[in-house]
Amino acid sequence: MASPIVDNASIPTLTKSVTEESILQFESCGILERENIHNNYELAARRLGTTYTLASGRMSVTFASEALRRFFGPEVFNHSGSVNLKFLRPVKDGDTITVSGSVIQQDAVENGTQVTVQVQCHNQNGDTTAVGQGYATVPQG
Amino acid sequence: MAEGELKLFNYDDIQIGEELGSYEYVLTQEMLDNFRSSVQDPDACFPTLAVKHDATALNMVYDDQTGGVNAGNEVEFFNPPIVGKKIFVTGRIHDKYMRRDKPYMVIEATAVDEDGRMLERLRTYQMKKPDEVGKKWHPQS
Repeated sequence: MASPIVDNASIPTLTKSVTEESILQFESCGILERENIHNNYELAARRLGTTYTLASGRMSVTFASEALRRFFGPEVFNHSGSVNLKFLRPVKDGDTITVSGSVIQQDAVENGTQVTVQVQCHNQNGDTTAVGQGYATVPQG
Repeated sequence: MAEGELKLFNYDDIQIGEELGSYEYVLTQEMLDNFRSSVQDPDACFPTLAVKHDATALNMVYDDQTGGVNAGNEVEFFNPPIVGKKIFVTGRIHDKYMRRDKPYMVIEATAVDEDGRMLERLRTYQMKKPDEVGKKWHPQS
């Protein structure tokens, strides 16, 4: 990010469609061929009582990471970024997830400014599915 | 570790600081493409999120018949992984605690590549009573 970051600045809002196909494709990226509550409908029903395909929370982490990367720029975020999300509601097949957030704090650190962003994810009904913070260290100059 | 050697997971027996599986794999272009497609982000560069390093480390050591619900994730990004490079992962139990009478476990994995570049550190907060979350999500059932 070339210009200084303004307090309360908003990060780019992202909207993602979550489908059974995208959930299963995300799960297929693993190196263990193992059934879990995200790729085995019956296992999820047995353990959670769900009647739908449930997305991994890491998909929401990835969505939040994209929004933060766009805000800070890849050179900053991919080398100093972090995301801390708490999951409040399930994300499932058919959901549309919107990520938004804004800068809530800036602290001088040895090699620049640590910027803290409040991040939230909402579904198409306006329910909050995840909340947390994103961070990155913006170099001086 | 062969599947026959897995230990049966018992929450009471796990220890904070306990080492989980250590493993290595080569990041392929196919893995990266699959990941990017699943999250609808052509510039996403941490497919390691979908590999779920920490959960994989757990599943290389334990046969977890309890399952769990991902209550939260913390991820720190240091350097994007490079296609064709070997990735080395080490996992451990970072923490365990009770909250509102529910057992939680925090698993952690750190990834470096074959050149010694630190890539990512991922933590997952697992609530080890998944049926309780199911009741919260579906209070009417």
